[in-house]
Amino acid sequence: GAEAFLPAPQNISILSTNMKHFLTWSPVIVQGATVRYSVEFQGEYEREHANESWIPISECSLTTATVCNLTEDISASVPYRLRVRARLGATSSPWGTLTGFFNRVTTSLTPPVLKVVADGHHLLVELADMGPSFQFRVLYWKKGQASRVKHKVLREVSSVVHLDTMEAGAEYCVRAQAHVEAINRSSSFSPTQCVRARGDTSLW
Amino acid sequence: KIFHLGACRVSMSTAEIRAGFTAIKANIQSRDPIRTLSILSHPQSLHKVKSSDRCCVAHHLFTFYVDKVFKHCRTEDSFVNRKISSIANSFLSVRRKLGQCHEQNNCVCGEESTEKFKQILANYEGLNVTSAAMKSLGELDILLDWMEKSQ
Repeated sequence: GAEAFLPAPQNISILSTNMKHFLTWSPVIVQGATVRYSVEFQGEYEREHANESWIPISECSLTTATVCNLTEDISASVPYRLRVRARLGATSSPWGTLTGFFNRVTTSLTPPVLKVVADGHHLLVELADMGPSFQFRVLYWKKGQASRVKHKVLREVSSVVHLDTMEAGAEYCVRAQAHVEAINRSSSFSPTQCVRARGDTSLW
Repeated sequence: KIFHLGACRVSMSTAEIRAGFTAIKANIQSRDPIRTLSILSHPQSLHKVKSSDRCCVAHHLFTFYVDKVFKHCRTEDSFVNRKISSIANSFLSVRRKLGQCHEQNNCVCGEESTEKFKQILANYEGLNVTSAAMKSLGELDILLDWMEKSQ
């Protein structure tokens, strides 16, 4: 018989953390059937200069998932509109459109994960990679001398970074924040971590 | 990155634009049969533009790409269309910043920059619109290289 009316997906929302952007929606339930979904986006350029056209995301065309990774497509700091519809056989639902716009400048930024190591007299830090858009601002100081904080900007996260050579037996503290140049925003600082240099005075 | 175009300072992430362009460059340039002609570099390279004229030329060029080029570059390839959209939306964002410089009179258009842009338009209009648009898009790295020289 004629296929029943398919409702548009509901509860459409964006999850955007650390410059990774995901569209999610509630599943459309049809007993005994597999419903598929297709997602499209529209940037400000398409609205103003390309007849309000929409662009399909092939990885999220006729997918059974209820989440779509938009990160590759939302790579400009302009307002985007997003929509998703359901498909069952030859029947398509109306489009469900995200309320309002999404601009990546609103992504939430979490503090970096870092590990501070005292290797003899060397103060080392290791930062977890957060993706190509990220730089890190690392602050470090000798405990008790918070007025003489030094800082380093790390543009690329290699494995371990040497921050300083420590005085024997002294304690040094480190904290860091992430920065995204493309949106000119920074995360809050990570918790401070302190380590103590080896006691003896020999440097090797 | 911050770009110094005469008295105008503009932040722009060329890395993202360049990554998007690099992903489709071969595809786009394969659609441009006329390899002997250039839109941006004929008769003179962009690198000849005086520093004081850079902002005006940049503003003209970003407007040129937004208003004239991208809309004629739609292809049958979804991946290419998505990358063009990313680049177009980034250009729109940068053009807005250049426009603000223009409004604040930090983007003066001298005779030379006006002449240079007239030449680019003449090169563009000398071809049919799709060929001209594809050729202009294929020359994006010429524009990005020139912009990065102002960093």
